[in-house]
Formats: sequence, C-alpha cells, structure tokens
Amino acid sequence: MISVFKNIIAIDFEFSAPAGERPYVVCLVAKNLTTGERWRYFRDELLAMKIPPFPHGSRSLVVAYYASAEMTCYLALGWPLPEYVLDLFTEFRCLTNGIKLNFGAGLLGALNYFGLPSIEALEKESMRELAMRGGSYSSNEQDALLNYCESDVLALAKLLPLMLPLIDLPRAILRGRYMKAAGCIEYNGIPIDSDSLLLLQEKWDAIQQTLINKIDSEYGVYDGKIFKTNLFASYLLRKNISWPQLPSGALDLSDDTFKDMSRAYAWLCPLRELRVTLSRMRLSTLAVGQDARNRCLLSAFRARTGRNQPSNSQFIFGPSTWLRALIKPQPDTGLAYIDWSQQEFGIAAALSGDQLMKDAYASGDPYLAFAIQAKAVPADATKSTHSSEREQYKACVLAVQYGMGAESLAARIGQPVIRARELLRLHRETYKTFWRWSDGAVDYAMLQGKLWTVFGWTIHLDDNPNPRSLANFPMQANGAEMLRLACCLMTEQNIKVCAPVHDAVLIEAPLTDLDFAISQAKECMKKASRIVLDGFELNTDQEVVRYPERYMDKRGQKMWATVWETVNELSSKSNDGPRLAKECGHG
Amino acid sequence: MKTKISHTDVTGTISTDSIAEEHSAQNADDLDNMFDPQRLRLSQNFAATVGVKKRVTVIQVRKPGKQEFIRVHPSSDYCVETAILEFKEEGETYLVDPALWNDLPGELIPKIIYTTINRQGVLRLWPVRLPDEEGKLDDWNQSALESADIAKTAWIRVSSNRSAGMYETFEASGNLSEPQWPDITFTEILKIAFKGKYIDHWEHPALLKLRGES
Repeated sequence: MISVFKNIIAIDFEFSAPAGERPYVVCLVAKNLTTGERWRYFRDELLAMKIPPFPHGSRSLVVAYYASAEMTCYLALGWPLPEYVLDLFTEFRCLTNGIKLNFGAGLLGALNYFGLPSIEALEKESMRELAMRGGSYSSNEQDALLNYCESDVLALAKLLPLMLPLIDLPRAILRGRYMKAAGCIEYNGIPIDSDSLLLLQEKWDAIQQTLINKIDSEYGVYDGKIFKTNLFASYLLRKNISWPQLPSGALDLSDDTFKDMSRAYAWLCPLRELRVTLSRMRLSTLAVGQDARNRCLLSAFRARTGRNQPSNSQFIFGPSTWLRALIKPQPDTGLAYIDWSQQEFGIAAALSGDQLMKDAYASGDPYLAFAIQAKAVPADATKSTHSSEREQYKACVLAVQYGMGAESLAARIGQPVIRARELLRLHRETYKTFWRWSDGAVDYAMLQGKLWTVFGWTIHLDDNPNPRSLANFPMQANGAEMLRLACCLMTEQNIKVCAPVHDAVLIEAPLTDLDFAISQAKECMKKASRIVLDGFELNTDQEVVRYPERYMDKRGQKMWATVWETVNELSSKSNDGPRLAKECGHG
Repeated sequence: MKTKISHTDVTGTISTDSIAEEHSAQNADDLDNMFDPQRLRLSQNFAATVGVKKRVTVIQVRKPGKQEFIRVHPSSDYCVETAILEFKEEGETYLVDPALWNDLPGELIPKIIYTTINRQGVLRLWPVRLPDEEGKLDDWNQSALESADIAKTAWIRVSSNRSAGMYETFEASGNLSEPQWPDITFTEILKIAFKGKYIDHWEHPALLKLRGES
C-alpha cells in the first residue's frame, strides 16, 4: 500500500515554543526514505524558503513523530501543509492503546517497545533545552542540534519498517490528516481578554481568600484556605444529605462525585466551583502568548478514547468553567461555539440501529421522547407540561451513557434507588436493539480483547478491564472520530478553528464573514456525522459571541460575577484598581 | 497488492518497489479516493462476529415474590402436573419419579408446576397444589391457580390476603411489552431446577431421611 507514494520523507524540526507562543523554528532535518537523500537546514535558511526543500507534492508522504508540532512549524515558516502525513506517534498509540507501557508513548518509548536503540533520555533533554533556548547559536551548537535532529529522523527510518506491517495505512493517513488540522488549531489559539487576565493574575492571592470567605459563609467547610473534611461532614449532617463514600468509609470528595451531587443539590454548585478553582486552577500556568491567545498542545490521541487531552492548567477549556469568560473575540471579529446536539445519544442510536432511539433523536428532544416511548407520559406531552418527568428520563439517558448504576442515578435525581432502578429497566426495555448491540460490543471486547471505532482507533484490554467504560467506548471514541473529521473538513476549508472541545468546536471569523463561517462549519459537522454514522445526520447548536461581547459558560456565570465583585472590592481599596477593572469592562 | 519493503540501518532507506502494482494509485485523484473516509468505515456490529447466548444455570422453584410482576408460559408444554415431596422445615422440594409414586402413599403432594418469568427476565418454576383425590382444594391454592391462568396473558403480581385466606391478583394496567422467553425446553428447565432434587430410586437420601434411615 505504501508503494502508492513516490517519496516517503521522514522529517523532524527543532523549535522553541514558550507557553502560549507560536513555535520559533530552529532547524529541520528531512530524509527521503525512498532515495536516501537528506536535507539539513538551520533557521535562516528555512526562513528564506517558500516551500519545503524536499518533494512535497501529492505523491509524497511525510512521516513524523507527533506531527501536529511539525505542522505548526510548517505554518510558522509559511509553507503549505503536506498532502499526506503518517504520524508514527498516533499509530504507536493506536497499536498500544490500553496497554501499560514502561517507557511511555514518546519516540523513546516506541523505539524501546520495538527493541531499537535510542539516544539517552538525558542527552535528549539537554538538546531539547538547547533548542528551547532560542536566540543565536554558535556553529558547534548548530551542528549539535542538527545532529540531534537527524538522530530522530534516523530513528523514524528504523521504526517505520517495523511498524508498517502493523499499521492500517489508509486509516493511519486519516489520523495523520487530523494531525495537520490539530497543527492549524494549535497555531491559531484562542483569543483571550488579556487585560482581565492580567488583573486576575495580579490579585489572585487576595481573590482566593476573599472568595473563600464569601462562598464558604454558606457552608462553613474551610479553615483558612484548607477544605476540612470534618466540617464538610457536619455540613452534610445539618443538610441531611447522604454523600457517597469510598470503600474505606471516608467521604468521596472526588470532583466527579461533587459534580453528580451538585446536579442533585444545586446549591452545592458554588462550593464545587470554588474547590475546582482553588485546587486546579493556576492562573499563572494558563498558556497565553504575547498576542493574547491561549495556545497549548491539544495532546491529540492521548486519551484512551482517542480524544484530545490538553493540559487542564494550560488550556482555557479546563475544568474552571467561569474562567472561560476570559475568551473574548478581538475587535471586528466574532466567535462561535458549535456543538452536536446530544451527540452520544445520536451515535448510540445510529451505530446500534435502534429505530426507537433514532426516532427519539430525530424528535429533537430525545429525553422527552424516551419518556413518551416508555409510556410514562402521554404522547402529546411537552417539556413544559412534563418537565419533572423529562428531567428524570434525561438523567436516566445520561446515566446509561456514563455507565452509572442505580445508586448514582438515584443520587442524581434525588429519588429512591427503586425509582432509579425502574428508570434503567425502562431504558433497557425501550431500547432493546441498542442494548443487544451494546452488550454484544462488551462481549466481543471481553472475548477478543479489543474494540475499535469506524476508523480503526483501537482500545486493547489490559488485565483489569472495566466493562462500563468498554460499553461507553463506541460512543466516546466514535464521537472523537467525528470531531476529528469535522476539524479536518473545517481547516481544509480555511475555517479558523480555535479549539476542539469534546463534542464542539470554537471557530473565529471577521464579523462580516461570521455567519457564513458558521454555516460552513455546521455543514462540515453534519457531513462528519453522516460519514461516521453511515448516513445518520446529527444536528448542531451554536452560541455566537460578537466583539465586544465575551464567551460565557452558563455554569460559570455566577462564579465569574462573584470573582469580579471581589476584584472590584479589592480594587476599591487601592488607587489603580477601579480604573483597571473599569477598563476591563467589569467596573 | 504485494509490497516489498526493505530497510538498511546504514542508509535508512525504504524501497517501495511494488511486485504487483495493479491496485496502485496512478494519480492524485486515485490517492484521494483511497484515503476517502467514506470508504474507510469499519463495521461497529461487534455482536455479529462473536455469538454470546445467555445460559440459564439456576432456576428457583418457588411462588412469585409479592412485589414481582410475572407471566406464566402460555404453552401446555411448559407446565406439568406431577407429585412432589416437600420438606417444609428445610424449605426443600423434590420431584419424584412416577415409578415411585405408589410406594409413597400420603407423602406426596399433587402439584402443577408452571414456568414463569418476571420483568427482569428471570425464569422460575411455580408449583401450585392441585385438588386432592376427593376434588378438594383450599382457597389459597384455588386463587393461585386462577392467578396463574390470568398470568398466561397478562403481567400480574400475587399477594396474600390473610384475612380473606387467599391470594389476590394485581394486573398491570400499562401497555407492557410481551415477555422474552429464553430458548430452552421445559425438560431442560426441569433438569436445571431439580438438579440433585429428583428422586428416581428408593435409596435416594431424601427417602432415607423420610424413612428415618439416615
């Protein structure tokens, strides 16, 4: 199959990329694995080139390890992206996804896995540091960097023949296609209100304590900046809340549990947001470049499901939802956050072929449709006439998607376990075809040791497989395929994608073109769903933000307001504060 | 298509000489087609490649729980009128081979054994006493027989009413789906349910116990 390519070019760039910045290309080494020809260039020579020095036409295949980084270098040099990319990182991940690797999934890990020699990790690190240093390099340093860069290219040349028989090339090329899109997205970044960020960063220490004082006044669970479990236990007792426990008997204080319990007891939301804000958010680590854009590695294919797994602390779409309000379009531009409606439900319906489930999705309100199909509400029920029933059936649908048991569902809907069990039973009874298909997938995985997506992203079972996550794999991993394909289609149509976010994308366009860009993007997302789901089309929704508005996640709205109330209070005590807050639009 | 791939450590060269090129792409359009995602879709019907059948290994013999909705198998092939031996204190029920019936006068109870299934798909056997030789039957068993008859066409639950001295039948009013009966014969059901509890010879431990010989 690889013979369809006339040239197979292994490439590696060395570059530096301080947090949030675009790459500063240092050098490139490339080698034509078909002819043996090689190319070694340092920065100044590369900047003078308008196209790559090696064959880059439609019969060339570029081979790299973690290709999205190489693609950002292409973009930084103003080069057209290669037509076809084979990323040995994505293929190594696909071959070993789910298997514990002693040396990780990096290039050294792959070389080790295939029994190939590699340069010492220590040596690699010192050369990386040299590349990251940037600035001017002596001729010795240049040689050292080029030699180091070439050693990675030679490593690719050794790795490829060993991996090739294990690679499903057409689908590997599709994954490589996404790494091109990921490079574009990482290069674009997300526009950030840097003035507000600066103000928050300056006052962050004082803000934290004031936030605790404000929010904790309703709970009384903090001692200074420390969350106290015993105080929280007393609070639960006062409020008569039964809280999930760990096998040890201690309270389960994981964020997932807080998230579930916050759905059942809405008044816990501010406390959860405070905990997330204090424990995970490091404003200083949010990667924002000089051009006021948030950029970080998307870490494509890092999650077991094949989803991106960007750093929570560097990525603006991390867990602190209120912080997302820092996303703000630049003057004369707008942003659109476009997501697939009930993506997982739609995928489950389409892939299982469950007609009732498909009908429920097509109704536009699958939760109410489920209640109607289960004959729990009349056929003419609406969201307003049967809102509480709808909420329960919605929680049940989501519980099935998350692989929840009756106890967790009961906690989420605030009903006895017997009710939750009945809802789950109704789901099984209503969507029999889906359950047959889902159980069949888990059976297959447990018997054959693997599952895969429509484009071959594979999960291999380790010695302790979790049937619940296996049951969810087809929805999650095919959802990831859909998002990747949509990102490819969009970036190839020059739509400026700023970020992929689980089942959504954030795009940016000049205000004059925004509506057109949105309709194009939605069309790409619909097309991606049709391809992944064999003709079944998923709907999309969008939120549009036009300058000078800012993006706002509903879940973080209250916290955002509280934070700025706090900033204003703190600022009023200093001279420059009110002016700064006002300039940022929070005065 | 067969592809020869060679590699040398020194040059890191890969040969893409194709032995048979009939499927090779001739131009960029062919390449695009080759990597068109619409042509790359893999089946997600995992169950089609591996067959898994639910196997019934335990079948309880008892009356339905009072909160349990059940159906009785409507086919006469799935019930039997027989004689059983009960050890009430131990809560054990034995099926007795007809060849031994005449040797156990007064010990055996005539019963009809129905096959039932609940809403969770659990299969059980439900023994209900039949009238004695004189045709007498108490209200408990009479009402149980009537309940079982209703359960052949409707989802019911049976609950004892002590003051009335009989079972009451509650029929589900919702438009519920029909039961999914497992693919298993009644003979197999009996074998599973009465595994180790089928008396077919005189020296069976249950009969030894009955005779006070164990």
